[in-house]
Amino acid sequence: MAILTYEEAAHLLRRMGFAGSPSQIEELSKERGSAVDSLLNYNQIDNSAMQSLLDRSFDFSNPDEFPKFNRAELQRWWFTRMVYTSRPFEEKMTLFWHNHFATAASKVPEIFMFIQNQTLRTHALDRFDSLLAAVAKDPAMLIWLDGITSVRGRPNENWARELQELFTMGIQDAVSGATSYTEFDVQEIARCFTGWKFFGPSRTDPNRFNYQFFINPGEFDSTAKTVYGQTANFSGDDIIGIISARRATARFLVKKFFEFFVYPLDSTAADKATIEKFADVYIASNHSIREVLRAIFVSDEFFGERSRFGLVKSPVELIVGSIRMLGARYNPGAIGRGDRGDQVSYILGGFSALLGQELFNPADVSGWKLNLGWINTSLLLNRFTYAAFQIIGRTRDLNAPGVWVANDQLRAYTKANAKKTVQKFLTLLGPVETDGKTVRQLRDYLQTDDRGNLVGFTNDDPTIDKKVRGLVHLIMCLSEFQLN
Amino acid sequence: MPTTRRQFIKRGAGLVTVGVVMPRIWLGEARAQSGGPPADHRLLVIQLAGGNDGFNTLIPYTDSRYHALRPMLAFTEPELHDAQGRSTLISDQFGLHPAMGKIKNLYDQGNVAIVQGVGYPNPNLSHFLSMDIWHTADVSGLARKGWLGKYADLALIGSPGLPAAALGGGELPKSFNAETAVIPNIINFQLFNFIADPSYPGDYNNQINTFNASASRTFQTDTFMGSINKTAFESVRGAQLVQRAVSGYTSSVVYPDFNPLAVALKMAAQIMVTMPEARLIYVQMGGFDHHSDQVAHPNGQPSKLTGQHSVLLNWFSEAVNLFHVDMTEHGLADKLVMMQWSEFGRRPGENASFGTDHGTVGSMFLIGNPVKGGIYGNHPSLAATQLDAAGNPRFSVDFREVYATILDRWLGADSRAVLGATYPDVGFLA
Repeated sequence: MAILTYEEAAHLLRRMGFAGSPSQIEELSKERGSAVDSLLNYNQIDNSAMQSLLDRSFDFSNPDEFPKFNRAELQRWWFTRMVYTSRPFEEKMTLFWHNHFATAASKVPEIFMFIQNQTLRTHALDRFDSLLAAVAKDPAMLIWLDGITSVRGRPNENWARELQELFTMGIQDAVSGATSYTEFDVQEIARCFTGWKFFGPSRTDPNRFNYQFFINPGEFDSTAKTVYGQTANFSGDDIIGIISARRATARFLVKKFFEFFVYPLDSTAADKATIEKFADVYIASNHSIREVLRAIFVSDEFFGERSRFGLVKSPVELIVGSIRMLGARYNPGAIGRGDRGDQVSYILGGFSALLGQELFNPADVSGWKLNLGWINTSLLLNRFTYAAFQIIGRTRDLNAPGVWVANDQLRAYTKANAKKTVQKFLTLLGPVETDGKTVRQLRDYLQTDDRGNLVGFTNDDPTIDKKVRGLVHLIMCLSEFQLN
Repeated sequence: MPTTRRQFIKRGAGLVTVGVVMPRIWLGEARAQSGGPPADHRLLVIQLAGGNDGFNTLIPYTDSRYHALRPMLAFTEPELHDAQGRSTLISDQFGLHPAMGKIKNLYDQGNVAIVQGVGYPNPNLSHFLSMDIWHTADVSGLARKGWLGKYADLALIGSPGLPAAALGGGELPKSFNAETAVIPNIINFQLFNFIADPSYPGDYNNQINTFNASASRTFQTDTFMGSINKTAFESVRGAQLVQRAVSGYTSSVVYPDFNPLAVALKMAAQIMVTMPEARLIYVQMGGFDHHSDQVAHPNGQPSKLTGQHSVLLNWFSEAVNLFHVDMTEHGLADKLVMMQWSEFGRRPGENASFGTDHGTVGSMFLIGNPVKGGIYGNHPSLAATQLDAAGNPRFSVDFREVYATILDRWLGADSRAVLGATYPDVGFLA
């Protein structure tokens, strides 16, 4: 198979990661399978540079030490990972599962949100059964959907419902349209998960994150339950195995992978066939997340025209991608920085929230609404404000926390004339594909003075500081730029 | 999520009908296509998201089944007094939650209609599907357009200024999904602005002009590009309008900033007072999904006046009252109807977590001077034989009857054109 073109490689990196610099894109100039594997097999990628930056910038050894461990610090930590990681797909998958198993700090203490983040990262490409069981037994989910107070005799249905509706099958089968489960199944499954608990570290345990799952036999309903027409004394683990093996789960997961990584699927026969094609991979690979995703990323569906810019950038993709594409500097700042009310270092997490995606705190259990869910008048204006923020930062102080772009960095892409300069930045920031009229308007912008006169373009420092920064802002405000 | 189509942006191929003037949606240059609403009637929609517990909002304190099903959560008659010790009983059968003293006062003044037993056929207990059903007034939950979006397409296209807006939230409610109308949502006024590099204020007009040129392009409407581009255009135009207008608002009413609904209703007041063309305003408050800790339970004993539900209903009651006072101060109270809804009620039987699971029927509050106060609909029977297999009661009023009443009696619309069918008048509007 042919070597990926620059545009294809950029597409792959946008989707499996958070976009990148021209050299990072060029590194993917290989055959499709090799390019995908180089991102997919991230355990083989050295990430020590990011790790040492994290070690310098964060101290999470004691979750009770509030100034060093709080929601703002967690957000700062994750953004630092995403900007600096050499394993972008690891972070992208963790983000995918955070959205899939949407759990929020509005109800769940931050320590458990952090533990859940590790769980998601550890099992991101595991068998789906293993991931689901790990998430189900993790303190965050037991709190979020009230598992810890669900007891024999009066079970709580919160988890039993969302497990089926949002995490595995959906209300209706994505292909057949059949009802995936009944209200009776919700009630019976709630009984299977009664008595699920966790306990924390002992006083002397140096690992303050050492929380362990257990089942309280006295609260577990050990009588027979009837689930999907089968009657037995099912345990919660039995149910996880049963649901993970259902065809509806395979189809639902493929649909969610596509909505996040490829393009949203319709209910057409062709799209249903696409679901079936990858659902088959799920079944044949014994529910391997890795194998399903590999099949998707090497597919013609993924590289086809419908997929290219066929999604809307999420706020995280917009923010991290803009920094990575432009080669902006992001200095996360020092330990505890996020709690100082110092907006400069915490600001990526704060901006992401303003754009509609507060990490560790999605609005509800259904997760963020992707694609056009990111677009409304307020959220778009906030995107434009983020673009302004990113180009306003100019400091030359390497030790200053925050995001900034030096004029030297911009000069590297600024050409002798306006036309080539516009083209260069459109390529850098996408490559963004737009129409000739828009390109001409951007070119005219570069050459227009404050009185509205066309005065020409010079690539000197004052022009770079004013108009090239303005150009980057305008490109980031283009509707094309909002696509991924 | 609306159905999406393949993208046609590649190398500008998606640009269609270049040069056709974009419809001026809510900022309006065209003329209204149909009669439109009575010129000064306004509707404020308040969504309580998560499934508000109707049985602990309008409390059937004489119903022995209510008490039997809720040994921990039920309010007894002596408990139905607000923080000032005033009774919140509104009839010999019903009382309001003790946190709703202000709404009790409005009820006593005849300005509150409570429709009980509200639901729809074949109730769905999923938050998300049931919300979609209410937003779209389509019981399949699959329709794309919202009921107010359809109304806006029929009646508000071409209206000047800002006829509709969602305020305070990061999401545009699906009720406002429209074919043609672009209805703005405004999280807060401070951020609702187009900001460029402050180092070069002289370049701002160049930025705006270049932005507007690209945002004035026309794309196929059912593509991401089409949606993004028209929203981008309207957001910057809307920002300029709103920034000019809302600074003119003054009021003696102080809205507490810890109450999220009050914050949103202050924005609603700012819009309604300064932008007289505003017809539809939408606000929401979440947090009603009380599977657990609906009431506080120190030492394992229920403390009904201090739990989460109590806090939220108190915010609802206080915020609505402040807004009513503010509208009265500005002479707008006779022209405003407020409508509260939630995607479902909660189960009559409590669970072991001091909470309740998803239910079917709930109550809706209609508030304002134009409303004929009182209780409408029937109290759903909680007798074991009348509950479904999950333990939920049957509805007596279809929520679309409430919508139809508002459309026909208040917004001067043809409810059939919006809802696709005719529904009986509930009777809470003259």
